[in-house]
Amino acid sequence: MEPKRILMVDDERQITRVLRHSFLAHGYDVRTASDGESALDTIRDFVPDLVITDLQMPEMSGLELCRKIRAVSQIPIIVLSIKGEERIKVAALDAGADDYVTKPFGMDELLARVRAALRRGPAEPVSEESVLTAGDFEIDRSTHRALVRGAEIHLTPKEMELLIYLLTNSGRVLTHRSMLKALWGANAVEQPEYLRVFVGNLRKKIEPDLSAPKYIITEPWVGYRFEPAG
Amino acid sequence: MRTLAPTAKGFISLATVGLVTVGFAPFAETISHTTVALAYLLAILFVATLFGSRPALASSVAGALCFNFFFLPPYFTFAVSQGENWVALAAFLVTAVVAGQLSSYARRRADESEARRQEIEQLYSDLREAFAQASQAEALRQSEQMKSALLDAVTHDLRTPLTSIKAAATTLMETGIDLGDESRRDLLAIIDEEAERLNAFIGGIVDLARIEAGQLDLKRSGVPVTEIISRAVERASARLSGREVVIEVPPQTPDVRVDGQSAEEALYSLIENASKYSPDDAPIRLSAIATPTRGVEIIVEDKGRGIAPEDRERIFEKFIRVGRAEIHSTASGLGLGLAIARGLAESMGGSVTAGDGRDGYVTAFTLTLPAAGPTIG
Repeated sequence: MEPKRILMVDDERQITRVLRHSFLAHGYDVRTASDGESALDTIRDFVPDLVITDLQMPEMSGLELCRKIRAVSQIPIIVLSIKGEERIKVAALDAGADDYVTKPFGMDELLARVRAALRRGPAEPVSEESVLTAGDFEIDRSTHRALVRGAEIHLTPKEMELLIYLLTNSGRVLTHRSMLKALWGANAVEQPEYLRVFVGNLRKKIEPDLSAPKYIITEPWVGYRFEPAG
Repeated sequence: MRTLAPTAKGFISLATVGLVTVGFAPFAETISHTTVALAYLLAILFVATLFGSRPALASSVAGALCFNFFFLPPYFTFAVSQGENWVALAAFLVTAVVAGQLSSYARRRADESEARRQEIEQLYSDLREAFAQASQAEALRQSEQMKSALLDAVTHDLRTPLTSIKAAATTLMETGIDLGDESRRDLLAIIDEEAERLNAFIGGIVDLARIEAGQLDLKRSGVPVTEIISRAVERASARLSGREVVIEVPPQTPDVRVDGQSAEEALYSLIENASKYSPDDAPIRLSAIATPTRGVEIIVEDKGRGIAPEDRERIFEKFIRVGRAEIHSTASGLGLGLAIARGLAESMGGSVTAGDGRDGYVTAFTLTLPAAGPTIG
């Protein structure tokens, strides 16, 4: 099997140096870039399976880089950010990043996120098939039936819509803003309380333990992540 | 005067008329009617100005009665014997009433405009106070913003090397992967370099705090400029790694009166900055010029991308890096070097400024140090 290709973008050469050693030892094919412009060039010839980028870079920020990549490609993007940049992190996810890792991080965590992102692959257009299955979930859109761990649950139409949205975006960090926009339209993006209510209701119906949700994971300050296998 | 009760005002008004009457009555037969009438008018104007229109009207009537009773023949009656005296009395009455009313009106207007002036003054002072409060709040807000920007910068400068250290250490700790000796050594080297970088950063913060608190122990003496330059270049040799360094010091350059170590440290920061922000193979020029008034200028020039004129002061602020960090070689800028260089130079009576380079060099940093002057003894 051909090794997966990773492009690493950071203006801090020490960090790209470390990650390069680690990724190579794990059998990935790695390229590094120290700024957004050269990253975009590399994407054209190297065609990576995954991009990892820092957010704070001179000239083109990681945020802008996410936007530019998204304009031409759906490859997964993981952003690295110094802790305490919540606002920027959310902006990066809204700009098209799929996940984020806070600096400083342990290599185990980053490697796990890399594996998850590569497993997911590029975001696919929402399938038109009527039956969706992933992990513990099975939804038949035509009959409006949803099964969790084989048992049927009764959902309101909006809860069904929310579950389908989560299922089709499994594993991704979804910001409050992007979820509100997808489910209630652009006018609702400033009303996170809608989301809290519906996520709460949906959790009551699907989570076995409400005190420790395992399917709909809260990403503090940012949004949610759906893990269909729990 | 405005605060007096109406009865008191009426009494004083009538008393004024009475005073004129008593003053002139003994001479009633000898004095001219005109003089008496003018004296009454004067009293009425006085009352009008002081108390307003009603007392003025009262004193006009009282004045006319007294004028008739005491000064127009036949005396001590209200009868008037001659026709021309009727005319005089009527003219007096009309003049007194009109003049009294006019002058009280003028007085009222003057009072009104005075009140308006006071009102405006009050408004102005209120406004000024509000403005002062607002600008104080703004200054506070700005200093809070500044504090949080500084905290962000420090956090960034501490966490960046920590990230490399943690990632390298956790990679080395991983079991079940084949890193190879070379990678292992490089990861250890990175940990060492980044630990050094953290140490340098903390050292820089301590230096800067000392400079700002004025706690430097400076031993100033005459030092040759060439000595400062050669020591700073030697110290920066690892960073300059084979890069061409052009040194131009005219032989007659006077010594400077500085603390040798601090001057070397300031110059080292400027050289480090020049090497950090210019391509690895571009030369750096160090030159000295003696100026008649300011002392000796040591100029460090590089062929980097240059600094926009509007940023040439800002770069001396702590933790400021102006959009050109992408050219740095190994360790990234700490944003402290220039602040330290300037602080050191100023504490020795010198300065550091940024400007344009010459002869193909783009950026010039000028370290000015006071000349030692003629040696005594």
